[in-house]
Amino acid sequence: MTGDNSLYERLERLAYARGRTAGRSGMALVFAYLWIPIFVLVVMSFAQDIFSFPPTDPTLEWYVTFLNNDDAIGSIVTSLKLALPVTVVSVLLGLLTAFAVDRYDFAGKQYLQILTTLPLIVPLVIVGVALVLFFGALNVRTGYWTVFVAHVIRTIPFATLIIIPTVVSFDETLEEASMDLGSTEIQTFKKVTLPNIVPGIIASSLLVFTISFNEFVFTFFVKGPGTTTLPTYIWSRVRFGLTPEVNVMSTVFIVVAGTLILLAAYLTQVEDITGR
Amino acid sequence: MSSSQLSNSGALSTQLHRFAEYVRGRRRRSLALIIGAPVLALLTFFVLPLLSMLWLSLHTETGASGEFTLANYQQLIASTTYLEILKTTLVLTVETTVIVTVVGYVLAYGIVRLSTRTNLLLLLVILPFWTNYIIRMYAWINILQPDGALSSILMSLGLLAEPTGFLYNRAAVLVGFVYVWLPLAVLPFYASLNNLDEDLIEAAMDLGSGPIKTFLTVTLPLTKGGIIAGITLVAIPTFGSFITPVLLGGTNVTMIGVVIERQFNEAFNWPLGSALGMVVTAFVILMLALSTKLGADLLGTEGEAQ
Repeated sequence: MTGDNSLYERLERLAYARGRTAGRSGMALVFAYLWIPIFVLVVMSFAQDIFSFPPTDPTLEWYVTFLNNDDAIGSIVTSLKLALPVTVVSVLLGLLTAFAVDRYDFAGKQYLQILTTLPLIVPLVIVGVALVLFFGALNVRTGYWTVFVAHVIRTIPFATLIIIPTVVSFDETLEEASMDLGSTEIQTFKKVTLPNIVPGIIASSLLVFTISFNEFVFTFFVKGPGTTTLPTYIWSRVRFGLTPEVNVMSTVFIVVAGTLILLAAYLTQVEDITGR
Repeated sequence: MSSSQLSNSGALSTQLHRFAEYVRGRRRRSLALIIGAPVLALLTFFVLPLLSMLWLSLHTETGASGEFTLANYQQLIASTTYLEILKTTLVLTVETTVIVTVVGYVLAYGIVRLSTRTNLLLLLVILPFWTNYIIRMYAWINILQPDGALSSILMSLGLLAEPTGFLYNRAAVLVGFVYVWLPLAVLPFYASLNNLDEDLIEAAMDLGSGPIKTFLTVTLPLTKGGIIAGITLVAIPTFGSFITPVLLGGTNVTMIGVVIERQFNEAFNWPLGSALGMVVTAFVILMLALSTKLGADLLGTEGEAQ
């Protein structure tokens, strides 16, 4: 045997003996990397000022400042005014696409799927800029409605991709049974189809809402002067001066988004169970 | 067969034919109703804007009348500044993708093979991903700024003499990129590792392969589709990114996305910005074509029974 080979065998033995420990330590390091920044962010929301880590004298002062900041609260209201209707429209469009993909065979079906997935893949800056010049060419004033449209485009892929499995896994013979027993199409949809796909609809609504509430790049380009959402507000604060107040806003953001995602995760698992 | 029977069956088949036509027509109409709205929305507000960007990149004035011209593209190729920016962008994209792929694969492998709490660990990966992008960058500003967390910790360990900032350089941008895109790569890696039949691994070990050989000859080749999918999902948004270089790189790290943003919001040279946008679009198309050719598993179905 050559020396090379024995080195290789020593490595194999080492991997056999220590591989699991090394793998687990690696995992722990990566999780630390993922979570320590968020931890620091939350801790610093209780700091006196941005330059004192770790905070010596925890305070809620910046939470009070945040609650009294009309600009910040106003931007949250704007974000909600966008995210709620965007969720309704996107989930409806996603539902329609999912039904078309599941129930119909037609030429160009794969193109429909590519079309609904593409906004997920093309870099946000590109679509943001393209929307600006498109609205510009049409002489559409940027503002609430342009942001609304941009958010719908941004969220359609997510809505569709999450609803499709629910619709596909729904047993269509239940609908036939209902019709055979004398229900009309509308009654069947209300009493049979809808209750079965509700978990998927709720899960996708939560995700679409979260994405819209988080959306920055599209909004940044098409918002015009009057429409400031929470992410664009935070962006302007981060670029021009740091205060623990931004940490407070971030913490609130993380808690709200985290809750919604946990809820969505829980619901999609429920859907997985009922789908089998 | 008598003639009357013939005409009868002819009438019947015509009626059947008409009925089939009616059903098909009805289904076609309802299909059109169903997909009309989403298709119209995507064509109008996604495809058309991208086409208008292509069109504008071939003109020199905003709102352009006049001739098609390649002037914008010629300006890009002729200028060393833009080529330099393109190089920075490419190098950072490659570095980010390599690091994310290696680290993400280790994490996905650990979640599948070395742990029983798969769901909890997956949530721990997904939750940071759903945190606002700017906030995740801001979290790193908290850590890397002068007098920030890293500086404080290193000083209390005696490794630093005075408060130091770690922001506004390539390393900071790289740390930020890896941080935001890691979860995106872990998901396809996880899917393909999870679908891999563990019996194959046991078989290889039983036949005398060590862990390294088993990994290189069984696990790695069988999860190729997931790996390529992860690489694609990370490389594309990194190439087009502008938030991370602006917030963590400052004026020291300029990427193509930053220049596009500036052309639109500060320099107001929209045709040139559009041409730069087309460069990014070309990169996206190239990556998608390449990954499809190499068998990317973008839907995470690799190894599943067909």
